[in-house]
This record gives sequence, C-alpha cells and structure tokens, in this order.
Amino acid sequence: MSRPMRRVVLVDDHDLFRAGVRAGLGATVEVVGEAGSVLEAVPLIKELDPDVVLLDVHLPDGGGQAVIMQVAPERPGVKFLALSVSDAAEDVIGVIRAGARGYVTKAISGDELTEAVHRTADGDAVFSPRLAGFVLDAFRSGDPVADPELDQLTAREREVLQLIARGYRYKEIAARLHLSARTVESHVSAVLRKLQLSSRHELTRWAAERRLI
Amino acid sequence: MSVRSLRLPVALPHVERVERDRVVAGVAAGIAESLAVDATLVRLTFAFLAFASGAGIVAYLGAWALLPAPGCPTPRRGRRISGTVLLVWAAILTLRGVGLSDSVVWPLALVAAGFVIGSGAATFGLGVRRARVAATVLLVAGVALFVGGNVSGGSSTLLAPGAVAIALLLVVLPWAWRLARERDEERAARVREQERAELAARVHDSVLQTLTLIQKEPGDARKLARRQERELRAWLYPDREPTAGGTLAGAVEAAAAEIEELHSVRVDVVRTGDAPLDERLQTLVLAAREAMANAARHAGVDEVSVFLDADGDGVSLYVRDRGVGFDPDAVAADRRGVAESIRGRMERVGGTAKIVSAPGEGTDVELELS
Repeated sequence: MSRPMRRVVLVDDHDLFRAGVRAGLGATVEVVGEAGSVLEAVPLIKELDPDVVLLDVHLPDGGGQAVIMQVAPERPGVKFLALSVSDAAEDVIGVIRAGARGYVTKAISGDELTEAVHRTADGDAVFSPRLAGFVLDAFRSGDPVADPELDQLTAREREVLQLIARGYRYKEIAARLHLSARTVESHVSAVLRKLQLSSRHELTRWAAERRLI
Repeated sequence: MSVRSLRLPVALPHVERVERDRVVAGVAAGIAESLAVDATLVRLTFAFLAFASGAGIVAYLGAWALLPAPGCPTPRRGRRISGTVLLVWAAILTLRGVGLSDSVVWPLALVAAGFVIGSGAATFGLGVRRARVAATVLLVAGVALFVGGNVSGGSSTLLAPGAVAIALLLVVLPWAWRLARERDEERAARVREQERAELAARVHDSVLQTLTLIQKEPGDARKLARRQERELRAWLYPDREPTAGGTLAGAVEAAAAEIEELHSVRVDVVRTGDAPLDERLQTLVLAAREAMANAARHAGVDEVSVFLDADGDGVSLYVRDRGVGFDPDAVAADRRGVAESIRGRMERVGGTAKIVSAPGEGTDVELELS
C-alpha cells in the first residue's frame, strides 16, 4: 500500500533511544526534528509543524503532558503519540488525558511503530495491549457513574478492548467480530474520547491507588 | 532589628482567585483551595465575620483587591495597598466586635501594621531600609499608645497581663513554627538520603552486574537484559511483584517470567482485575504456563501475549502468539499430548480451554473458569 510521507518530531531525553527509533522507522516516515526536553521541544514543534510527535512520557523538565499542553492550543493539527517504558498507569492516563492519540511501549518493533505513526497521523487512536488493560481497569463495571455516556464502555467497546489487550491487531479484531476495520477504529476512537473526557472519579482514584502496568 | 527578623518565618501559601467554583469573585474558593479546606467553610467564616460590624464584607473586599486574578502575576501597587488597608480595617472591626476596647485595638492595629510593613517590604515597593524604619516607628508607637492609654486611664491592670501574653505569643509562635519546619525539612532530607543510598545499592548490585555480564557474554545479552528489566520493574512498582500470600495476577506474572527465562522469549502480560489464588486458579495458571511454553517452543516467535481478565464473574486467561500455528485436527502425537495437558487440566477444575490455530495464523489459547 502506498502511503503518504509523514513528518515526525521525536521527543525523548535519551539520545541512544532516539537513534534507535530513527533507525527502526520505515521509509514512509521522516524524522524532521528531535528534542530532549520540554524546553527544546515546544518551540521546535511549533516551528516544524509536523504530522506526528513521538513523545516520551517522562522528560527531565516536566513531561509529555507539558509539551502537549503548550503546543496543542497553537498547533491543533499536530498529533501526539506517547511512547514510554513507564509502568505507572497514572503517567499513561495523564498523557492521554492531556490529548495524546495513543500510547505504545518502547519495546514496540520498528514496523509496528511506523504503522502506529501512520494511524496517528490519520487521526486514529493507537492502543497498545497495555493501554487497553489500563482502560478496562479504569472503566471497571459496577462502579457508580455520573454520566453513563462518558463514564461507561459499551459492550462492543469492551469486547474490542479485550481483544486489543489479548494482542489482536485492528484487522484481526475486525475479522473476528465481523466488523469493518473502520468500525473497529471508530470504537477505539470513542474509547479514547471517553478516556479524555470522562470525569469519572474512579479514573483518578484508580490511577493514584494502583501503580500497575 | 536585622533584615532577617523582619521576614515572616514561613513562606505564605500562594493564594489566587479562581474562576472555577466561584460564587462572587472567586476569593473564598481561592483561599479554600490554597488552604485545602472546603470553600463553604471559608464562605461561612466571611459571613460570620460580617456580623462583627460588617468586618466580613470589608475583609472580602480587601482580599478581592489583594489577591491576583487567576493566571495573572500580581495586582497593581495601588490595589495591593488598598487591599491591605481594607484587611486591617476588617481586623479592627473584628477585634472591636469581639469586645476589645479601643485602648487595646488601636495599639494592636499599629503593632500589626508594623509587622505587615516590615515583613512585606517588597509588596509595598518600599526599600528594605525605609520599611524597617516605618515598622519600628509603628511598633514603638503601638506599644507607647497601649502603655500610655492603660496607665493614664488607670483602669485596666487586668489588660496588661493579657497584652504581655499576646506579645509573647507574637514572638514565640513564629519561632516555634520555624523550628518545627526546620525539623521537618531535616527529616525529609534524611529520608531522601536513605532513598538515594538504596537506589545506589540497587543499581550497583543488579544493573552494573548485569552490564558486566553482558560485556563478558554478549550472546546472552537479550536474556540478561530482560531479566534485569523484570527485576527493576518489580522493584520500582512493588505492587506488581508476586506476593507471598499469592494472587492470581502474581502467579501469572511469575509463570511468564519463568517461561521468559527458559525460552528466551518475551512474554507480555496485560491484566485487568485480580483474585486471591486458590487451587482451581492455580490449575488455571499451570494450564496457561503450558500454553506459554508451547508458544515459546513451537511458534517460532520472540513475543507471546498474555491477557488475564479477572474483572467479571469468572476468570479468563488468553495466550496468543503470531507464530507458525498448526492444524489442530492434524497434529503430531506429542503436540496433541500438550494440548490435552491444557484441556485436561481445565476440565478437571470445571473450566474450558479453547485452542484456535491454523498454519501461518498463529495460535490462540483461551482458558476460562467461572
């Protein structure tokens, strides 16, 4: 499949890791800029206006969240994909709630990361199995909810998330549930929206209480 | 009086008005937020003070003028001064409302003004030197007025001990407060030092050792690195570590770690929910371990995905690989045996095992226990 070239800015404080990502990304992704801190990243992203920013959750002078909050209002077109080794759920949920379109672990292969960059650039949500596990935990059934629209997952969304958590890719999920890939995508985007907008107290309490993967 | 003694002994909390939760100007909500109390409490205090000749209202206006609007640094100098004047006025009204006579209130006001000017030189834009002079003058004037008023009035020998007590409090309280703060800081520093030492020990014992091993045996780098990663994660996020009492999630993690060690593959465990480990669940973990070992041995992949779902009524455990797969209807005898050891185990404890696979499609093992 021929895909458009995507311009990417890489934000991570480890040079070695940035070099690894650059080498692993496919030919359809061009790394146009790199930054190692919030201070460097914000003006750089504003200047380059890339399609996607690959963003480390942890940065020495703040974090991925700080970058998103300073860039997003001025550059609404830039999409963020969080990349982390963090095992702390509150970090991951925090960066998603700040506006990242997804979260992948740093153990991801180069091909998968390339795919994730394209999906992010297309405006889709990118859920790693781990993030799906977090979300299922956060939206645990049976808890009281304030706003059923935002605070609960539908049965279908839950099903999709469970398959992601099991290691299925979107296409495989679509085949298994007899849906189109587009429909699977829209379910995942809906979950992302709920994750960002839900005021479910559970979400914050849960994240503070449980620092698990 | 030295410059230092003119400073407040502690940093005042940063208060600003807030947009959110505001009823009038966000003053009460702002104060409540920085003091970490309920806004209603602050509003009630203002309302209650309003009965003391309207002191609450004056105090509110003063705070409004003095507190910066959300996001703005500080209000202009004129606003700051008028805010302070209003607050002092409110304090005087309150003290009179409580029943103190003018002969006490006015000297007190002068002394208080002396303290405020002395400690807040920057706020008023006065030089340190001028602030110091003004403060001293006000303090002396306040004490003189008080002594003069009460001696010439000759009425209240009763008030003198009270005034001494208040003066003592004014001196001792900030000092005691500072002492307590210093002790807390010392303790915090000690804790930090301990943490640093523990971290150094951990890094030395494990990380450095592993790096040395990798340099000696580059062939094992992957395995060693993964083992080290697991150890560090368990240490950083202790609630993920398998507990002695034993939970289902802990047992699954432990099984995954074992398979990683044995077969040099990566087993990624994702989980939602947990349950205390009983005999049936132990069997489930054994079956899952078998499935992981299968994937590691036969699938020809370097990554296996495990998902534990203990969220609902039952427990589901999924083991998935993207490897070569096989035709479940036409498997070699030894593979069938392995499949049976998964299925048989599950059936003995009243669960189910479903194995979905096709050549080239990877393998999917679903274990369920209700």
